[in-house]
Amino acid sequence: MSIYLPIAEMPVSGLLVLLLSALVGFVSGLTGLGGGFIMTPMLIFMGIPAPVAVATQASQITATSVSGLLAQARRRMVDWRMGLLLSTGGVLGSTFGVSIFSTLLAAGQIDILITLLYVLFLTVIGALMLFESFMAMRAAGKPIARPAPRPSYTAFNKLPFLMRFPRSGLYISVLPPLALGFGVGVLAAIMGVGGAFILAPAMIYLLRMPTNVVIGTSLLQVLIVAAVVTLLQATITQKVDMLLAAILIVGGVIGAQLGARLGARLPGEQLRAALAIVVFGAAAKLLWDLLTPPAYLYVLDPS
Amino acid sequence: MRAAILLAAALCCAALAQAQERAPEPEIVAPPPAPADAAPRIIAAPSPAPTRRPRRAQTAQPGGEPDTDFPAAIAQETFAATSSYQGAEVTVFGYTPDRMRRGDVVVAVRGPPQTAVVRRKFRFLAFWVNGDPVRFEDAPSFLAVYSTRPLREIASPRAIWELRLDPAASARLVGATPADADASAYRRALVRLRRQSGLYVEEPEGLELDANALFHRQIKIPASAPLGEYTIEIFWFRDNRLIARQENTLNVARQGIERTIHDLATTQGFFYGILAVMLALGGGWASAMIFRKT
Repeated sequence: MSIYLPIAEMPVSGLLVLLLSALVGFVSGLTGLGGGFIMTPMLIFMGIPAPVAVATQASQITATSVSGLLAQARRRMVDWRMGLLLSTGGVLGSTFGVSIFSTLLAAGQIDILITLLYVLFLTVIGALMLFESFMAMRAAGKPIARPAPRPSYTAFNKLPFLMRFPRSGLYISVLPPLALGFGVGVLAAIMGVGGAFILAPAMIYLLRMPTNVVIGTSLLQVLIVAAVVTLLQATITQKVDMLLAAILIVGGVIGAQLGARLGARLPGEQLRAALAIVVFGAAAKLLWDLLTPPAYLYVLDPS
Repeated sequence: MRAAILLAAALCCAALAQAQERAPEPEIVAPPPAPADAAPRIIAAPSPAPTRRPRRAQTAQPGGEPDTDFPAAIAQETFAATSSYQGAEVTVFGYTPDRMRRGDVVVAVRGPPQTAVVRRKFRFLAFWVNGDPVRFEDAPSFLAVYSTRPLREIASPRAIWELRLDPAASARLVGATPADADASAYRRALVRLRRQSGLYVEEPEGLELDANALFHRQIKIPASAPLGEYTIEIFWFRDNRLIARQENTLNVARQGIERTIHDLATTQGFFYGILAVMLALGGGWASAMIFRKT
């Protein structure tokens, strides 16, 4: 089933894209990661121009995060105040990110930047995932792993504009969440990812939020930022391909639901470790391609 | 289907015309100038009035006569690029005005001109990154040239260049090249890369004249080539000279949902963005609802 994409201006196999997005959705449902960081490079690998892949991926992230957020909200696992604060930073950051994106698109350097950022973040994600699953596997063997006590004071308390976050039990400055949201927003716009993979660890280790509200709260930020990025990309770069988005959304949400259901029955930590190795492999491949002399020195800009 | 019927009709007409012509005059170099003769007129009927190029008239006809119409046509002039678009296929057919089958035919299919941007990678720190752009204006986005013999045996290098039968010929360098860069290397790279992706096609023996001096050729425009207006030029060379030429246009246009989406995205970006967000929100919400119940 070949489908001609109106914005990418190329035919793709609809079934292949559907299966891939379902597979990525499945993995993200299983591991709790968004999946944008797998799907976007895969689309690029399939020959879809990087700008179209990044811009379109934002709309798929919007869809998957809505369905995740609804599930978390039902269980009251969302710190709305913190989420909205992160989102404010995120919206500012993504606006900035989209303007960087369109500048680099015009300068012809967007592919290099996207690749470099992917190398960097895939390595970080891979390392984090491997570390966490390793710790969890080790902890599983021991009787009780006592969590480190949360300190009542952090360095952030010295900053001004303190605010109370009852759901998270925090009383901290609004500046760190705003800055964190901003940084993740920039990445979301440039890389076509949701950014939960950076946001979630940062919320736990930097903001010291309780783990149970982290997923729901980060989903709120991801949702708002992805929706804004979709809108900005459509308005500024005009690279959102709605036909591609529709296929990605259908495949992604179905895959995510199946993954979430099966996740309970599968050895999650081993899967995370396996995924971490795949992620490392992808980072190494991208880096290798950037470092080795190309077979042919000339390239054509996509028209 | 339509192409097949037209082709059959053309073959019949051409054969008929030749049978008629054979008797009175043994050698006809050019087709009859007046439309009184039925055969070429019928064959040429599906094509639009060929746009003549007076500036070519001199090279084409040393005697000062204008170009002659070529009895050739394409089988279909519009193609709809719907969501199932997989490229266009068109049949070009006709016959050489010379019944002795002398001379050669060249068919050139040219895509809409675009500015092509070529870059040379260079090493920056440890990484290979894209260098400064070199722009070529009016480079055909697609060019397929079919001929009865290799072009070099048919026409002079100058004619090949002037008629833009060489893919490098129409790419016009604009702006400055980066310091110490050789523009012709960039031009060669453009041709090579487009050849690799199947956008520049050359088939030096891709046309065949049959016993009645008829030719027909199925031409495939791949889906990776841009949409828009294509020109199909048909040339007849003899003794290294261009005797006749004809130009047809072929339009590949978006239709249906392709057109709606593309037009909306390019003219109403903000509204399109709102729609894309709604689609995503709706899709996510619907899936959450569906999967909660089961």
